[in-house]
Amino acid sequence: MAAVVLEAVSKRFQKVVLRTGYTTLKTSLTHLFTGDSRPTEYVEALREVSLTVPRGTTLGIIGRNGSGKSTLVRIIAGIYRPTAGRVVTEGRVSALIELGAGFHPEFSGRENIYINGIILGLSRKEIRRRFDEIVGFAGLEEFIDSPVRTYSSGMYMRLGFSVAVHVDPDILLVDEVLAVGDEAFVRKCLEKMADFRRQGKTLVLAGHDLLLVERWCDAAILLEAGRVTAQGFPPDVVAAYRGSLAAEEASAG
Amino acid sequence: MIGMCRSLYKHRELVGILVAKQLKLRYRGSGLGFLWTLLNPLLQMVVYTLVFSVYFRLDMEKYPVFLFAGLLPWIWFASSLQQGVTCILDGAGLVTRSQFPAEVLPVVTLTTNTLNFLLTLPLVFVFLLAFRVKLGPALLALPLLIALEYLLALGPVLILAALNVRFRDLQHIILHLLTVLQFLTPIFYPLSLIPEPLRAWAVVNPLTILFSAFQDVLYFNRLPSWPPLLGLLVGSCVVLSIATAMFTRYKPTFAEAL
Repeated sequence: MAAVVLEAVSKRFQKVVLRTGYTTLKTSLTHLFTGDSRPTEYVEALREVSLTVPRGTTLGIIGRNGSGKSTLVRIIAGIYRPTAGRVVTEGRVSALIELGAGFHPEFSGRENIYINGIILGLSRKEIRRRFDEIVGFAGLEEFIDSPVRTYSSGMYMRLGFSVAVHVDPDILLVDEVLAVGDEAFVRKCLEKMADFRRQGKTLVLAGHDLLLVERWCDAAILLEAGRVTAQGFPPDVVAAYRGSLAAEEASAG
Repeated sequence: MIGMCRSLYKHRELVGILVAKQLKLRYRGSGLGFLWTLLNPLLQMVVYTLVFSVYFRLDMEKYPVFLFAGLLPWIWFASSLQQGVTCILDGAGLVTRSQFPAEVLPVVTLTTNTLNFLLTLPLVFVFLLAFRVKLGPALLALPLLIALEYLLALGPVLILAALNVRFRDLQHIILHLLTVLQFLTPIFYPLSLIPEPLRAWAVVNPLTILFSAFQDVLYFNRLPSWPPLLGLLVGSCVVLSIATAMFTRYKPTFAEAL
């Protein structure tokens, strides 16, 4: 049984260049009248990515900055819609993407926990039942009634992770963010993720922690310029990544 | 439209929480807190009464009551549009959360402003009593007018919210458009003051129909004329169905444009 299936998924973004800037009514009007039809530039963030994550397994996504890792995670999370291809996910998806996503800066930690729980499909009662556990795990008892805009990046991450794992997801997506946690908290997160694996949940981890991918993941994929260039047994994929990094360094030097 | 209604119903709890937060947030950190809800329109009323009734000598009995009858629904409408146009941008943190139903945000904005309007209504009644305006059964039409204004405003709020994510000029354009509307709609003066050849044009303005009805009910103590209101209802529904279609079309692209 597959928890996540991607079939030839491509994602193209309009390239945003600040000088020509946002499409404004004015620019689109002047372009209309002056016949200025410079083709819009695009960035191909993902090119025909196909993958299957069987239920209960952990997938690691590695690759350089800008290779499409975050886009891929967001596509699986349903935040972005693919330009082409198909995405199917089975069960409740909880995503821990960039810091602060999913939080309203003016609301307190408490309010944000409720809002996020409800968005993810819990009832108020279920959230109330888990509330102490969420706050306790994040270690934020003291600041839970302060607006989250006053939080440090570590506190953001703690709250985000704690909410993401306590909403009973079937699929947990984690994009890099663990890097800002201190060692003790990261260990706590890893323990929690180990619990998840034992409970037969599906995990997708994206990031640069190659050791984690080698040790933890059942499978890995390597993204290069939006394309999957290696996939399968994590140590092999990590080796391929290291090889490609070394090759580049050699040709540059 | 049906899809959006279903989604809103499913997320009614979320709407409720967000509305409550918005109401609280509006006055968080201010000393007078909720009192501002009443003070804002009161202060505006004082200024406009001074300008139009004293300086311009607009000949109307109990002018403050007349003014309130149109001004309060106007503030409701204008602030809904003003906040609605940026509501997706303001909620960026939530929109980039997986599975967040973006249609919740415009509805929350409008509903919050509706509640604010309802909270200012007692003020009108205080003035009605103070100026000894006769109250009659015409007041029973008030809830219908309130429902109609909600419906009328929802379409434009959805359209503005969706388009402003990419065309951010809109948030500036709308400010000017609202100023124009505020003076061209009979809020500060009665419809009868507009010279004849122009009055026909003023009546085409949907807000004129609606606010005249508010003034009928709250100031003239008479039932509004129904046919134009019925037309307004039909028109609002048409705009709303176009708006929901547009919003649904643009929704999947919000996250990447933020």
